[in-house]
Amino acid sequence: MEIEIISFGKISEFISNQRIIVDGVNDTDGLKTHLEATFPLLSGTKYKFALNKTIVQGNSQITHNDIVAIMPPFSGG
Amino acid sequence: MSDKNVKNIFVNGAIAPAFIADSIARHSTKTAIGGHSIFMGQVRKDEIDGRLVSAIEYTAFEELVLENMHKIREAIFDKYPINCMHVYHSLGTIKTGEICLFVFTSSAHRKPAIDACTEVVERLKAELPIWGKEIFEDETYQWKVNS
Repeated sequence: MEIEIISFGKISEFISNQRIIVDGVNDTDGLKTHLEATFPLLSGTKYKFALNKTIVQGNSQITHNDIVAIMPPFSGG
Repeated sequence: MSDKNVKNIFVNGAIAPAFIADSIARHSTKTAIGGHSIFMGQVRKDEIDGRLVSAIEYTAFEELVLENMHKIREAIFDKYPINCMHVYHSLGTIKTGEICLFVFTSSAHRKPAIDACTEVVERLKAELPIWGKEIFEDETYQWKVNS
């Protein structure tokens, strides 16, 4: 299936916003493994996912055309 | 009480002191208020490894910030007997000495305003997907880490 990934903070320096095709991935744990293999710099980084604008707490199902945000620790204020 | 509208908290560029003064002035008609508490975040000229910060560039996952800020706002109005709450956060490049965050709470008596203001500042720093890039005088940069 195809999903859109958007990135922020220092992660946006090595992952640009893009649509990706993920075969054999149907949840966020699987996506994490896939992304860290595709973008090795990601495995050294702390980050959370937001799935369609909801922050992901545990493992969550992903479906076609979902938007996943990859977010490093927040530093606003 | 809060309304159902999601408020826009973003300001492009620094928050002007005059804007803060106007906000205070606009509350003079709200005569049930007895106390205001105000927090302003200012960009500090930190020295890191011999380099001095000249500015912070803020970016955000804007839609998610507004949703999360709305939830924080609702929770704060439920928890404290406050009359008003205003939150503004800068986006873009803010120079040292400029204001990048303005939180303003008002209540009939001082304690709820002070406590609500403190809690809002702590929660927004932890929960809003906003990122700061510290830009040094030599034009190098590093990503800000909140404590």
